[in-house]
Amino acid sequence: MNDLEISDEILSFDPDTLQRLPVRKSAVLEKFSANRRATRIVRAMADRDDVLDPDAVDRRLIRVHCEMQRISEEFQHGHRVAELLRPLLAALRTAGVVRPIRIVDVGCGTGFVLRWLAAHGDLGGDVELVGADYHPALVGEAMRLAKQEDLRVTFRVANAFRLDPPGSMYLSTGVIHHFRGKALPAFFRSHDREETKAFVHFDFLPSPMAPFGSWLFHAVRMRDPLAKHDGVVSAIRAYSGAELLRAAGDGAPGFVRAMYGTRLGVLPIPRAFHSLVGLRPEYREAFVRALESRRSRLGEWA
Amino acid sequence: MTLLLSTLYLLATIDATLSGYSAAAGRSALIRKGPHFRTAMLRGFVLGQIAAAISLSLLFAVLNAAPDRAVFRADLLRVWMRMLQIYLPYALTILTAFGFRLIPSVDVRCLTSTLVFGPLAGIRPLVGILGLVWGVLAAPRPEIVAGGSAILILWLLIEWILGTSYRTSESTGLRSER
Repeated sequence: MNDLEISDEILSFDPDTLQRLPVRKSAVLEKFSANRRATRIVRAMADRDDVLDPDAVDRRLIRVHCEMQRISEEFQHGHRVAELLRPLLAALRTAGVVRPIRIVDVGCGTGFVLRWLAAHGDLGGDVELVGADYHPALVGEAMRLAKQEDLRVTFRVANAFRLDPPGSMYLSTGVIHHFRGKALPAFFRSHDREETKAFVHFDFLPSPMAPFGSWLFHAVRMRDPLAKHDGVVSAIRAYSGAELLRAAGDGAPGFVRAMYGTRLGVLPIPRAFHSLVGLRPEYREAFVRALESRRSRLGEWA
Repeated sequence: MTLLLSTLYLLATIDATLSGYSAAAGRSALIRKGPHFRTAMLRGFVLGQIAAAISLSLLFAVLNAAPDRAVFRADLLRVWMRMLQIYLPYALTILTAFGFRLIPSVDVRCLTSTLVFGPLAGIRPLVGILGLVWGVLAAPRPEIVAGGSAILILWLLIEWILGTSYRTSESTGLRSER
C-alpha cells in the first residue's frame, strides 16, 4: 500500500461519463494507513462530512502541477519531446499520412508539454496539438494558460482514446506508471486503431539511483508535501523498459516498439526519463533514417 | 580588508539574486517566463542590498565597539579568508555549471541539474553554516560568533522572505483547506 500516489486516490471520475465522483476521506486514509507521511497529508485536506472538498483538491492539484512543471523545465522535457517528435513526424510525412497530423497528449494535466511544443516545438503547420484529461480543473487551467500566451493548442475534458477524430499519434509524460497490472496492456490496446500511426510515452527510468535522485530533487525543488510524496512514489513505481515493451506488445501488437534514450551516450549513467516508442511497421525505416545522429539512442525493436 | 569584504559582498549579492529566482520557480505555469523571473531576480538583488547594508552596519557597530580594534580587525580578516575557502569553491562550481548550461544539449543541461544544481541547492544551508564555523574557528570571539550567526541567518532567510508574497497569494486560494 505504500506505493500509492495520493493524487490518484483523492480524485475519482466515472470512466464513461467522466462525472466527478465524491471521495471519502476516511477511505483514502484507510488506504494509506501504513504510510504515516501520506496519512498526515491527507488528514490535513479539507472535507465536508468526510467527503474531500473538490474545490480544495482542484486548487491543490493545480499548484502541484505547477511545481511539477518546474522539474520538467529544469530537465528540458519540452526539448526532449520535440527531439523525438520531429523524426516521428518526418517519417509520417514521408509516407503521406493524412493531414493534419493530430498529436494527442494523454492525461495532459495543465498541458505543459503541448504548450511548450506550441511555443517552441516548431513542429510544422500541419500538426494539430490536442490535450485530453479527465480532470476539468486541470484542463481549465491548461486552456487559461494557453489563451494567455496565445498558443495554438486545444485541451479537452475527455478520454484521449475516444476523441473524434482520433489521434494520429499519442504521447504522454509520467502517465503510464499509473496503469497497474492488466490496465497497462489495456492502455496500449486503446492505441490500436487504424488512424493511429505512432505513440511515444515518457516516464521515469527505474534505476538503483532513481528513488534517491527523485527524493533529492523533490525535496529541493518542490514545496507541496503532496508533490514531494507522489514524485518519489512515481519513480519507485515506474516500469522498466522490458515491462513496457512486453505490455505494449500484448496490448498493441500492430506497432513495432522500442525504448529510446535509456543511457547518456556511452556513459553508464542512466537518464531520468526513458521513452517507449511505437509505430506502424511501414514507418520504421523512415523514422530510423530521420533520427540521424540520435539513432544510437534507440534500443532494439520488438 | 576591502578585497575580502568586496568578494563576500559579491558572493552574497549573487546568492540573493539567485534566491529571487529560486523563490519564483515553480510558481508560474506559463511557458514564457522571462518577465516573471526578471522581476523575481531584481527583488532578490534589492533585498540582498538591504541585507548587505544591515550586515555592514552590524559589522561596523561591533568593530567600533571593540576595545582592541586592530586585533579585532586582524581576526575578522582571518575569519573572512577562511569563510571564502568554503564559499568560493561552492560559488565557482555553480557558476561553472551555468556555463555548461549554455551548451544547447538536453543531456548536458540535465547533467548540470543532476550533478550540480540539485545537490548543491540541497546543501546550501549546510555550506553557509560550514563556512561560518570554519571561519570562526580562526578567531572564536563571542562577538564574531554572534554577529556572524546573525548575518548568516539573515542571508538564509532571504529566499523565505522573497517567497512570502507568493505564499500569501497561494494561501488566499487554499484558505478553505485549512
